[in-house]
Amino acid sequence: MSISIGVLLVDDERDFVEMLGLRLEEEGHRVATAFSGEAALGALEESHEITDVVVLDLKMPGLDGVETLKAIKERWPLLEVILLTGHGTIDSAVAGLKSGAFDYLLKPADFGELLEKLDQARRLKWEQEERMRLAEAKLMGRRSGGLL
Amino acid sequence: MEKHIPVLLVDDETAFRDALARRLDKRGIEVRQAGDGEEALELMSQYPAEVVIMDVRMPGMDGLTALKHIKANYPSTEVILLTGQACTDDGVAGMKLGAFDYLGKPVELERLIAHIDLARERLTRRREAEAEAEFRAQVSERMAAAERLAALGTLAAGVAHEINNPLAIISESRGWLETRLAKDAGLSPETRKAGELALSKIAAGVERAKQITHQLLGFARRTDWEVREVDLAGLANEVVDLVKKTAENSGAELISKVEPATHLWSDPHGLRQVLLNLATNGLQAVNSGGRVEITAGQSGDRMVIAVRDNGVGIPKENLKRIFEPFFTTKPPGQGTGLGLSVSQGIVDKLGGSIEVESKVGAGSTFRVILPKRPPVAPLSLEQGPWGGGEEAS
Repeated sequence: MSISIGVLLVDDERDFVEMLGLRLEEEGHRVATAFSGEAALGALEESHEITDVVVLDLKMPGLDGVETLKAIKERWPLLEVILLTGHGTIDSAVAGLKSGAFDYLLKPADFGELLEKLDQARRLKWEQEERMRLAEAKLMGRRSGGLL
Repeated sequence: MEKHIPVLLVDDETAFRDALARRLDKRGIEVRQAGDGEEALELMSQYPAEVVIMDVRMPGMDGLTALKHIKANYPSTEVILLTGQACTDDGVAGMKLGAFDYLGKPVELERLIAHIDLARERLTRRREAEAEAEFRAQVSERMAAAERLAALGTLAAGVAHEINNPLAIISESRGWLETRLAKDAGLSPETRKAGELALSKIAAGVERAKQITHQLLGFARRTDWEVREVDLAGLANEVVDLVKKTAENSGAELISKVEPATHLWSDPHGLRQVLLNLATNGLQAVNSGGRVEITAGQSGDRMVIAVRDNGVGIPKENLKRIFEPFFTTKPPGQGTGLGLSVSQGIVDKLGGSIEVESKVGAGSTFRVILPKRPPVAPLSLEQGPWGGGEEAS
């Protein structure tokens, strides 16, 4: 079995989120869901530490995908975000990539492709966390070295 | 020089005719000869002439009768009548019947040649006007079609988006069921088989619906391109306005010297993009106090739009690479290296070309050379959104 990824699914299409969530859980991933950008930000307040990747629909009422993405990246820069987009919103997808999204998928997305991208995003996030840990450890080491 | 169809010279006096034909021939005007009206009509049916020079008084079919026939059957042919000195009436009658003009005999060669030239000019002008009218008709038909397509495209895109969402739900539900089915060891072989069959049918159906929505969306995108009459001076001023800030910030000057009422047929959005790219490049090439100038002029049936700067210029070794995608000499973050390759792509589509001339230290001139009227692509309304018959299953 592959490594379990903490995924937050955000889409105003509840049935879609529910079914995709069940499928991802079947694959052994930990899934949380939100049906709007606002709800996603609220959920992350609680769960950002156990979330690796956010899968975010671009077209939502209220906070749209790109705005939600920006808010997420501002608060939790290490969280990776994969955008889901329709064909006509490629421009927003490009805007999303510029705002720091990991990648985007066209809807309806191929499940295999989504799994692959989730794993790539998860890996990137873990590598960055590892680098940060090392950097901090180095800093701590130097400090303690200076004290000695 | 333009190659003309031979002039038809009709006169019953053989000696006069031969002499005149020889003299015209010496002046580069090819002549076919006929001895009377009947012979003239006979020759016209074999070699329709653009210009006919015809005596009025001839035995058999006279000039005026032949003129009537010619005007009835070859309306674009111009006829110059030759009349006797005292026979102005014949000339006037001929003019009423549609003759181009009349000349009294004896014929003054220079006047006759001048008349032939005038008649040919009138023909050329008329042909140009006809081509213009036909082109306008084609374009307006195309624009009406484009508007219909655009409306249809918006509708199609909306429908496709709305269908994609439930499609995604069906697709995910099917996928989930499939996984569960695979994991459940307790199912009877019959139930498993039935389930798998049903799921494969759902998958095929979803795939088909997906194809349709993608085609609808592709169809919606295809209507972006439109050819219409573009006011080039207005367009150039828009470009100046759009990059005014950039110019001011760099202390440079961007001006358009495009004469008012300069028109061509093209896609205004594409053309604006091209000028914008060239003007921005020009501004980046000049230092403070530099100058970028947009001019336009006609060259035959082409329109040449030039964007000239007095900036740093482009070294020879870079000149052949500047149209390559991602080629840039600008610092990271200041240029994508796509401006010129995108511009060239657009100009290509518009049936034109881009030329560049540059000298290091003196500046560069980019010339966009466009047909005043691009070829109008055939209407593809009959094809419908599914793009031909190959997917009509």
